[in-house]
Amino acid sequence: MSTELKQGQLASAASTEVMIEINDMNKWYGAFHVLKDINLTVHKGERIVICGPSGSGKSTLIRCINALEEHQEGDIIVDGIVLGKNLKNLDHIRTEVGMVFQNFNLFPHLTILENLTLGPIWVRKMGKTEAGENAMKYLERVKIPEQADKYPGQLSGGQQQRVAIARSLCMSPKIMLFDEPTSALDPEMIKEVLDVMVELADTGMTMIVVTHEMGFAKTIADEVIFMDEGDIVEQNNPIEFFDNPQHERTQLFLSQIL
Amino acid sequence: MAIIKAEKTPSRPAPIFETSIIGWLQKNLFSSVFNTVLTLFMLFIIYLSLSGIIGWGFIDATFVADNRRQCYDNSLTGACWAGVIDWLTNIFYGRYPRDEIWRIDFGALMLVFWMAPLWMPRVKGKVLIGASVVVFYPFLAGYLFAGGDKGLFMQIMISAAIVALIGNMANLITGLAKNESVVQFLLRVSGKMTAPDKTQRNLLLAILVLAFAAVFWWQTSWSAVGVPWTKWGGLFLTLVISGIGIASALPGGIILALGRRSKLPVVRVLSTSFIEIFRSVPLITVLFMATTMFPLFMPEGFVLNKLVQVIIAVVLFNACYMAETVRAGLQAIPKGQFEGAHTIGLGYWGTMGLVIMPQALKHMIPNIVGSFIGLLKDTTLVSIIGLFDILGMLRSISKDVPWLGLHKEPLIFGAMLFFILCFSMSKYSRHLETKLSAGNKH
Repeated sequence: MSTELKQGQLASAASTEVMIEINDMNKWYGAFHVLKDINLTVHKGERIVICGPSGSGKSTLIRCINALEEHQEGDIIVDGIVLGKNLKNLDHIRTEVGMVFQNFNLFPHLTILENLTLGPIWVRKMGKTEAGENAMKYLERVKIPEQADKYPGQLSGGQQQRVAIARSLCMSPKIMLFDEPTSALDPEMIKEVLDVMVELADTGMTMIVVTHEMGFAKTIADEVIFMDEGDIVEQNNPIEFFDNPQHERTQLFLSQIL
Repeated sequence: MAIIKAEKTPSRPAPIFETSIIGWLQKNLFSSVFNTVLTLFMLFIIYLSLSGIIGWGFIDATFVADNRRQCYDNSLTGACWAGVIDWLTNIFYGRYPRDEIWRIDFGALMLVFWMAPLWMPRVKGKVLIGASVVVFYPFLAGYLFAGGDKGLFMQIMISAAIVALIGNMANLITGLAKNESVVQFLLRVSGKMTAPDKTQRNLLLAILVLAFAAVFWWQTSWSAVGVPWTKWGGLFLTLVISGIGIASALPGGIILALGRRSKLPVVRVLSTSFIEIFRSVPLITVLFMATTMFPLFMPEGFVLNKLVQVIIAVVLFNACYMAETVRAGLQAIPKGQFEGAHTIGLGYWGTMGLVIMPQALKHMIPNIVGSFIGLLKDTTLVSIIGLFDILGMLRSISKDVPWLGLHKEPLIFGAMLFFILCFSMSKYSRHLETKLSAGNKH
């Protein structure tokens, strides 16, 4: 594992306030049942890591939370708002929930600074100078303020992913979702992104992270969820999860990747 | 066995035959006996055709003559350019009244002034300038070219256009002098620069209203002599039709393309069928339908002049082609860009306008310019339905008594004119491509 951080290093920031609530959620892609009877409660400040083999539905699950995918059955309640067909709700959810993708999805035609200020200016109606200052603050937090005037294509993968994180943070979201943020990166760059994420976790942000970085999971997670074939197979605190996995599917998975 | 390189290998210059002209010649033209023979043979062919063209078009050609007879008296084997020169005004302006031709030149000049700031890096507010050209210029130019009675609507639009042009010029001056927009300049002069307060906003509004009122009052004092559209012709008419076509095909195409990709079934089906119908019919058929069948669908007594019908047909036809170009460009944008835009809270129009379209349009530039070139050339089809565009004018020369039977030279002249127009468009698109990709390395 690329991070050498020890487990349990970060204190839990979870409160009792519920941020995300998922009740009996089901989703199909056509006839294929991707998510089966998902139940999950995430509290404010809680950090959840989702792992599992590919095709197990972990990405789909967090994309549903962000309303990038529609679910067919059950409820998803984010910050007190029920996700449904109501478009106004969707826009609201998207401004409150930040998301970081495997492939960064930065806007290649805009500079780094413009990438960061686009949302605040057009969605939050922030003034241009204010948005710029705000963006620089977050660029400093991800330690690349000197790249502000470059284009995404001129940055390394790790830098691009840190910009993507900063871009989401500029919208001051209440929840951050990470969809395999380090999977497309060269090994040398994984650490710089994980470091930024650990720092973010330290600020008390509610986070759901889909990742295969188990060292990272041990460091930040309040809860680790293991998914397989659309089911949440096991959910436990990281110490129990890694040292004493209950389900045989989890044991097999952990024995293969650790 | 371990291999460890002690020091870096220095770079040496490339072998001489890779970089010199002689090396290039040897490699590309004279690499073998057979290729040498081919090269010499091709050089001979090029010599033959060039000497023929230069002999006919320049050395033996007649440039000054009163009629075709005199051309022949001068030289039997040379071109008779005198006929083309004699007809130049007709070729450019058609049968537009000679005393009023300045109006066309003036209109063209205004367009140049209006659009020139778009190419100046120091000038601010380019989007607004571009939009004002599309929205206001056609009314101003339209009245300038057509003249006659100004209705109230035209008076308003003309006044708005003039205000826009004046504002544009003021913006040009402040941009070049102070690197700020005219609004910024006014705000700075009148006090606070950032966060304009209510009084300042009212002040700006008042200036705008006053300017409009003044221009409106002024324009009631003059009017232009009416020139019926039947007098329009030549290159002028070609550029009017294709200019309107070009200016409206892109926005129309974008709307149709978005419609075709829409999630709303009615919008999607309507856009798709509209596009498919127009695309499956040749332009000439659309033109005939527009001029002969369209009036049948209209209420009795509703007369739309032929030129307007033709322009509508050209616009719709090209919007449909443009829609497919735009759709192709949209499909080249990865899904992640939509998702990235959605996660920062942008809605449909924000996503399209700020993230997707700017990228897609860049991919589409070669195709868009290709369509524009096609449009410019296709416009000559209107000569078939009885409009005297440039092609109509060029062909009329051979029916003019002094130049009876003069076909070749006018058409060659027309070909050269089209080549210049189309080639410069194509060159400009290449320039645009390199410029845009330079600022944005993927």
